[in-house]
Order: sequence, then C-alpha cells, then structure tokens
Amino acid sequence: MHLKLPNKIIDSLRRMLPAFIVATIVTFTVGIYYAILNSPPDYLQGDSMRIMYVHVPAAWLALSSYSFLALSCIAWFIFRNPIFNLFAKSIAPIGATFTLIALVTGSIWGKPTWGTWWAWDARLTSMLILFFLYIAYIMTWQTITNKDLAAKISAALGIIGFINIPIIKFSVDWWNTLHQPATISKLSAPSIHISMLTPLMLMTFAYVLFLITLFLIRYKIEILDQKILRVSS
Amino acid sequence: MPFYNLIIRDLKLAFFSSTNFLFAASFLILILILVPFVFGTNVGSFSILFTGFIWISIALSILLTLDRVFNSDYEDGNLDTIILTQQSLELIVCSKFISHWIANCIPIIIVIPIAGLLFEVGIQDILNIILNVSLGSPGMVFIGSAISALTLGSKRAGIYKTIIIVPLYIPFIIFGSNQESGLVLLGLSMTAFVFSLFTSIYSLRLYAE
Repeated sequence: MHLKLPNKIIDSLRRMLPAFIVATIVTFTVGIYYAILNSPPDYLQGDSMRIMYVHVPAAWLALSSYSFLALSCIAWFIFRNPIFNLFAKSIAPIGATFTLIALVTGSIWGKPTWGTWWAWDARLTSMLILFFLYIAYIMTWQTITNKDLAAKISAALGIIGFINIPIIKFSVDWWNTLHQPATISKLSAPSIHISMLTPLMLMTFAYVLFLITLFLIRYKIEILDQKILRVSS
Repeated sequence: MPFYNLIIRDLKLAFFSSTNFLFAASFLILILILVPFVFGTNVGSFSILFTGFIWISIALSILLTLDRVFNSDYEDGNLDTIILTQQSLELIVCSKFISHWIANCIPIIIVIPIAGLLFEVGIQDILNIILNVSLGSPGMVFIGSAISALTLGSKRAGIYKTIIIVPLYIPFIIFGSNQESGLVLLGLSMTAFVFSLFTSIYSLRLYAE
C-alpha cells in the first residue's frame, strides 16, 4: 500500500487539529447556551423538546457519515487508491457512535412524548439496522486478517449497506409511523420557528465540527497504522 | 452438462451428509415445539403467531446451513477445482443457489401443512403461507449465499455473517407475514437474485485469484 506523501498529510493534520478542537468547543458552548437557556419551550412538549438539539444533528450526521463511507467505497472501486479505504475506515466508528447517540436520545425523548422507550416503527428500526451495518463494516476489518482482502470485502459491504440510507430518509413518508416527518428539509419554508431553528443550526454546526475533528484524529491514526504495518512487514 | 452435474453433486452431498434433508424439516418442527412451552397450551391463539414462527425458523435454518453453500467446498479445495473447469461463474453460482434451495427450503415447504395441523391453522391460511414461503425463501437463500461467499476469507465468520444477513432479511419477514403480498415477495426475490449473483461472482473471483 502506498500513500501519496503521508508525512505531509500528517504535518498538515497536526497544524489543523488544534484549530478544529478550539472551534468545536466554542460552537458547542454557544450552541448549548442557546439550546438550554435562550430558546422557548415547546407549547405542547414543554422543556423535554430541548433534547431535539442533541438528537436531530446526531441523526443527520449518522446518515451523512454512512453516505460518506459508501461514497469512499465507490471511489475506492473506481480509483483503487488506498486513501479512500482509510476514509471509510476512519469514519465508521464515528458514524456508529452518532447512530447510537441518536437512538439513545431518541429513546429518552420518546418516553415523555410517546409514552414508550421504543416503538417498532420504520424510522427507529431502520436506524437500528444502520447501527448494525456500521458494526458489520468495522467487524470486517477485524475478522479478516488479510488486509488486501479485507479492503475489497469491506468496500463491497459498504456499498451493499447503502440501500438502507434512502429507506431511513423516506421511511416517514412511505409508511405511516409514530416518528414525525421532516420539518427542516422543506427548503422554502421550514415548519419550525426561527427561535428554535437558530439553536438547532448552531448545534448542527458544532456537531459537524466535532465530526471533522474526530475524523482527522482517526485518519491520522490510520495513516500511522499503515506506516507501522509497512515498517514491520 | 456441468450445470446439472453440479446441482446433482450438491444434492447428493446434501443428502448423504450429516445435516441432510431431514435437518431443515426437523428444525422447523423443533422450533415450533418450543412455542407451546412459551405461550401455554391454548392452541387456538397460536394460529396468529404461526406465520411469524414459520418465517423465523426459515431464516434460522437458512443461516445455520449457509456453510454448505460455498464454505465447505472452499475449505477442502473443491471450489478451486469447480472454478478451474472454465464453466462460467454465473452458472456455477446459479447451480449453488438452486441446489441449496432444493435441499433446505423444499423440505420446509413440505412440512408446513403438517405443522399447520399441529396448530389448528385453516387450509386457506396454510396455502397462503406456502405460496409466500415458496416465493420469498429463494430470495433469502440468494442473499445468504452471496454474503457467505463474500465472507469466505474470515475465520469464525458465524456471528459476523449473521450481523450482515439478518438486516437484509427484514423486508422478506415484513412482507412474508402479510398474507396478500406474494407479488412483492417475488419482486424482492428477483432483486435479491441480481444483487446476489453479482456479489457472489465478485467474491468468487477474489478468492479464486
């Protein structure tokens, strides 16, 4: 496996990381301030609605991480550059964690709102499947000891799992579920008030920065791993 | 005709091996035997649950016998010999699918009416279930075989394979437990066939290198 100038990548990563860490902390502070103190409670759900500011960005990023993973797998099939495999390998545990956050916070939110911790509706079930797809992808690298083989198989698996993403996205439109349909994605006029949209957007921004920071750290680790492998082999 | 020869060879292997045709059928009955111990002996209420248990036991029996499709041939080297015959990989994979479906799902379909008698399920319901199973189980066999081909290289692939396959079985279970969705199951099976054919050929090429 060759990487194009891995030393340069690591150098630039070292320079970029502190900036991202500081930016993450600042946006999280501002976002949490807005989410907890400076936004109105929901007229129906009261203060329990505030968990949305943690739940929704995590769910969005869980989906987009998997899309990124699948896209890197496709890119690996086209260009056969090991860098794309490292992208997918670095994003997988982060995406799994965001999925878990979305599931757990959703469950906590569901108790006061729906009266149950868990409902077997389409959105929740497909999110749970997404979690297992992430686990399957991570397990591929662990169970298959031959690294070249693991690269090929995990790329195929990542693409197979991508069929779940549109199912999650449109599950609330296709089936009549307990989970509410999307309120933000109507680009022209989101059906959410601006006083709630501001903290949500701030929190999403913070989550994105957090994701990028974690991704850079993991990507650095993966490159170092490859270098160790090459030295020891 | 190597295609038919391969099917007949696999069927013979399935018939004479330790987990032969009787396995799938007795597995179904054994799963169903557990049901009264869980829900009590009031047989009348089982007919609602019957479809669900049939599908769960089909999924489990396919998962348990997947090792026979490619793994056993891969381990004793026969897979290399089969690939070396220069027969097209598509036909090889198709014959594996067909023989595995015959060896595992036909016994289940035969046993379903008897199991239905045990649980006092009506004739019309049994016919519906048989129709659904015969349309849906090929798709499950295809997907399971494709994933087991993909994971040939991993040691102790049991749980790993299950984690990948079970999410892909969910659509079959959803539409299978619905009485009037035979056509949806047929469509799912056909989609699964295309996807599994490509995946299996891709992974056989990987391992045959």
